[in-house]
Amino acid sequence: MHGALWVSKTGLSAQDTQLTTISNNLANVATVGFKRDRAVFHDLMYQVQKQPGAQSAQDSQLPSGLQLGTGVRVVGTQKEHTQGNLQITDQPLDMAVNGRGFFQITLPDGTTGYTRNGQFHKDADGNVVNPLGFQLEPNIVIPQDTTSITIGRDGTVSVTQGNETEATEIGNITLVSFVNPAGLQAIGDNLFVQTNSSGDPVVGEPGLDGIGSILQGSLENSNVDTVEELVNMITTQRAYEMNSKVISTADEMLGFISQTL
Amino acid sequence: MDKALYISMSGAKQNMFAQRSHANNLANANTTGFREDFAQARSQPVWGDYHPTRAYAMTERPASNFKPGALIETGRDLDVAIPDRGFFVVQDPEGNEALTRAGNFVRDVNGQLLTPQGLSVMGEDGPIFIPPASTVNISNDGTISLVPTEGQATDIVELGRLKLVNPDLSTMDKGTDGLFRVKDQLGVVFEQDPTVQVTSGFLESSNVNTITAMTEMMSHQRQYELQVKMMKTTEENAEKVASLLQIQ
Repeated sequence: MHGALWVSKTGLSAQDTQLTTISNNLANVATVGFKRDRAVFHDLMYQVQKQPGAQSAQDSQLPSGLQLGTGVRVVGTQKEHTQGNLQITDQPLDMAVNGRGFFQITLPDGTTGYTRNGQFHKDADGNVVNPLGFQLEPNIVIPQDTTSITIGRDGTVSVTQGNETEATEIGNITLVSFVNPAGLQAIGDNLFVQTNSSGDPVVGEPGLDGIGSILQGSLENSNVDTVEELVNMITTQRAYEMNSKVISTADEMLGFISQTL
Repeated sequence: MDKALYISMSGAKQNMFAQRSHANNLANANTTGFREDFAQARSQPVWGDYHPTRAYAMTERPASNFKPGALIETGRDLDVAIPDRGFFVVQDPEGNEALTRAGNFVRDVNGQLLTPQGLSVMGEDGPIFIPPASTVNISNDGTISLVPTEGQATDIVELGRLKLVNPDLSTMDKGTDGLFRVKDQLGVVFEQDPTVQVTSGFLESSNVNTITAMTEMMSHQRQYELQVKMMKTTEENAEKVASLLQIQ
């Protein structure tokens, strides 16, 4: 069959993957702490149809050969861990990380997940939990009669209770960083888990070693740039159209020969 | 049988090859740093003991188009583009140096700078390792500097420099893995060219001219149809000859 059919098929499926990535980014444009993905394309192997330098006759050589590419593939999607904009919410348990760090969340199976989403709540026992009810690590318990909660830039959590005027320190929030945050695996629900390519988490005190400080009463918006995504969507659509045009052209060629001869 | 049939078949077959080359260019219309391949046709005389009237067609890839593609801003620290001439040097699986224009680099768990396919990116003094840093900056001449995580904004550490080269384009050939190498020479160690400039936070788009590719595709389609028509005519001629010779 016509080789161009298979080549442009790889083009279509790569553009399809690109569009899926874009639509997921756009779907999460308002997700707190979401990091956008980017599809990475790479050309596939080239096949040597005619070897350059082969003999074209007894005493002459081909100056150039013919190497035909076999299309394109998506090497993978890359998470881009750039900062999102900070939004002030004035909720005492909303926290944003201004820097590279991640909050640690104890997952139901006992392992640790990492997130940039700082929308925390209090559960019935006073534990600080994420919107899914998973506890923040290290666990912070807010006493029953708390009137106000203050979280410092360095992660110190202090509360005032009852009629007291002095604040009591009840714990410290720590953050972790990774050598290669792009290697983290996104498991949905705004959570990431560690992989062999992300490296081990390095626990640090907020505000030190560039890990980022904690901003109480603010949230980090998704880092999706809608204009950029829409422009990417247009180029993806056009590339898709042109690849499908190649398929129909190749098909017409095959149709023409089988009808004419 | 008239050899014209074989000649038009060679034409049609080579048109298909050219078509595939354009299909590959269009499939890579969105591939970072992709260089479009040219296809040219050449006549190849048929050698032998007869009247030298016949020539077969032959499609070739004489070169790739080295025209720079448009720069796209991404804002990512490790995205680097070469706006003008020059190449990045990577190490292929055999350990030889090969060239690419795609600057969408990543870091692995050891901090080594890699291409998304996992080939190591070469610096002036071999592979580049970037330690944990709060910010990484790649300057116009390819110098990588960073602020270590435990440091202040003033503690800038210079890490090394990307190996940027600018070999003679007429000697370059695209290998079967899409990387560029010097034609017919293995294991060439490229020389750093201090005049090659880079821009970080940008990626270079593919340089495929989609309009040209589409137009050439249409023209190949028509040429192909002409070849097929030629085959049909040859067949009709053969039929006529056969009927003339038939005993009534």
